Amino acid sequence: MHEQNELYASKIFFNAALPLLKVIANDVPSIKAKFDKLTTVLQISALDPEAEGGKYSTHFVITEGVWETKLNAIHEAPDVELEFKDIETMNAFFKGNMLKLPKFKGIIKNFGAFTALLTTLLKLSALTGATEAPKDEETQTLMVKCFFYLLSSGISQLNKMGHAEIKDWTTKSPDRVYAFAVDGHPEVSAFIRIKAGKSRAGRGEYKRAMPFFTLRFDSLTSALGILLSTDDMLEATKAGRLIMDGGPEFGAQLGGFMLEVGALAK
Amino acid sequence: MAGGFVYTAVDQTALSTAEIYGKALADIILKDPKVVAITADLAKSTKLGDVLKVCPERVINVGIAEQDMFGVAAGMARAGMIPFLSGFSAFTSMRACDQLHTDICYQNVNAKIIATHSGTSFGQAGSTHHAITDLAITRAMPNLTVIVPADGFETANAVNAAYDNFGPYYIRINRGFDRVLYENQDYGFEVGKAVEICPGTDITVIACGSCVFQAKQAAEFLKNADGLSVRVLNMHTISPIDVEAIQKAISDTRRIITVEDHLVTGGLGSAVAEVMAQYGKGCAFKMLGHKGFAMIGLQEDIMADAGIDANGIIASVREMMNADFEEDDNWDDEV
Repeated sequence: MHEQNELYASKIFFNAALPLLKVIANDVPSIKAKFDKLTTVLQISALDPEAEGGKYSTHFVITEGVWETKLNAIHEAPDVELEFKDIETMNAFFKGNMLKLPKFKGIIKNFGAFTALLTTLLKLSALTGATEAPKDEETQTLMVKCFFYLLSSGISQLNKMGHAEIKDWTTKSPDRVYAFAVDGHPEVSAFIRIKAGKSRAGRGEYKRAMPFFTLRFDSLTSALGILLSTDDMLEATKAGRLIMDGGPEFGAQLGGFMLEVGALAK
Repeated sequence: MAGGFVYTAVDQTALSTAEIYGKALADIILKDPKVVAITADLAKSTKLGDVLKVCPERVINVGIAEQDMFGVAAGMARAGMIPFLSGFSAFTSMRACDQLHTDICYQNVNAKIIATHSGTSFGQAGSTHHAITDLAITRAMPNLTVIVPADGFETANAVNAAYDNFGPYYIRINRGFDRVLYENQDYGFEVGKAVEICPGTDITVIACGSCVFQAKQAAEFLKNADGLSVRVLNMHTISPIDVEAIQKAISDTRRIITVEDHLVTGGLGSAVAEVMAQYGKGCAFKMLGHKGFAMIGLQEDIMADAGIDANGIIASVREMMNADFEEDDNWDDEV
C-alpha cells in the first residue's frame, strides 16, 4: 500500500511533469537537434505489483524527431527505459535524491537516444527546480510555459484521482474554464476546463469562450515571481503584476490548488 | 441632445415610464415650436397631462382613430413639424399598421410614436389590450427605430434621442410603475448600443423593457446562491439591434437567454437569433417570452406564468448551465 500523497505525486510526475519533456524537446533548439531525425521509443516506469501490467509508465514514441506522448500506457519493447523499483523511489529521484537511481535499460544499444533523454530530463529538472528567474527571455518563456502546463495538468490529474478538495471543486462546477496567461505571450497560455466532476487540461489560449477566470500576469518576470514564490500574491495584485480576470475568490481557490500541485511535485 | 431632464430616484418611485414620457415631452414642446403631441383620445392614459398644462394648443386629439392619427402625423411631419403620437401599443402597431408602414416608414418622416401599455403591462384589460406582437411588426418596418426602455430614466433618454435624431421612432413603454433600474439618466445611453447591466462570463441574459430589472435580480441571486457569473445586457434598441454586443456575448459566454414581454416569435429573441445564425459560432440559446396569447391578469402574474420574471430566468439559467458549450466530450488532458 502506498501513502496517498506518494500516489498523487507519482501521478503528477507521470502525467503532468514528464509530458513536459516533449515541450522542452520542441522548444530548446540544442535539444531539438539531438532528436532530429531520431526514431525511437523512450519509457519511464515504476514497478508496482498492483498496477495493471505490473508497472506505472509514461512513454514517448519519437518518429523522425516528432514526439507523441502516451500516458498510462506500457510499451513492451522501448528502446530506452528508466525503470524505478517503485513509485516512492521515483518520487524521491524526481524530488532531487540522486541516490534513488532507476535501472537504465537499452543504454548501450541506443546510446544517442539515452543521452538525448538524459539531457532533456536534466533541462526539465533545471526548469522546475529553479529558485530564481532566468535572465534570458527564451528560458523565461519556456519556464513559464512548463509551469503553466504542469499546474493545469497537475490539478486535472489530481481531480481524476479523486483528490477530495479538487474533486469537490469540479463536481460543484458548471462547465467552466480557468486559464493561465501572460500579456504579450500567448504561446505560454494554458487552461483547465472543469464540469460536474470532470476536468481537462489544455494548452494554448482557450478560444471557444471567454474563460470564467484567468490568472493573468503583465510579464514573464511577474509570472515567475509568483511561480517561484519570490513575489507575494497580494503585493503583485496590488501593483498590477498579477491580474485576476474574474472573481478573486475563484483566484484564491485556484491558487490553493496550484500550491497543492507545487508541494507534491517540488 | 435635448438634455436637461434631471429626475431623482425619489421622483422615480412616483413616476411610471409613461409619466416620464409626459414630462420629457413637456420639456421638449416648450423649447421647440415644431413639436406637437397627437393622441387618439388617450391623452390621460398616455400621460400627456404635463404637455396639456404647458402647451394645450399643441396637443391634438383626433378621437378614437389611430389610423387617422398616423395619417395626420405623417402630413404634419412632411410639413416640417415633429409630431409625437401616443397611444396603446396594441393599437399603434396593429390597428394602424398600414398607416405606420406606408405613411410613416415608407415616407421616412420625422414622426415619433410613443406606444404605451405595452407587452402585458395592461394585463387585466385582456388579450385585446396585450401588445405582444408589436415588436415583430415594428422591427420589420424599414427606417423605423424601435426602442424598449427599461425604466423611466431610459424612457427620458429614448424620448430625447427620438427628438434629436431625424426619422420615425417607435418607443415601447409600459402602463404601470416600472421598477427603477438606473440611478439617473447618465449611464451612457446610445441608440443601437446595448448597456451591460451586470458583467459575467458563464452566460448572457439579453433582455428589454421591464424584463431587464428581472434579469438583473436573477443575476444577483444566481451570483450569491450558485456562484454563477451572469452577464445581463439591456438591449433597449431592438432595431437596429446591437450586432457587436450579441457577437461578443456569443464568443465570450457561449450561452444566451433572451427575455422579453412579447411573443417569442419575431421580437428580441428572434432578432438575437438572426445575428447568431449569421455569425456562425455555436451557442446554447433559449428564448423566454410568451408562447401564445397570454393569460389575463396582473402583469406580475403573467410574467411569472411565462417564466420571464426573476424566478423564471433563474430556472432557465440553471437549466442551460448544464448544457455543454464544446462540441466534443474529450476529457483527456492535452499532452
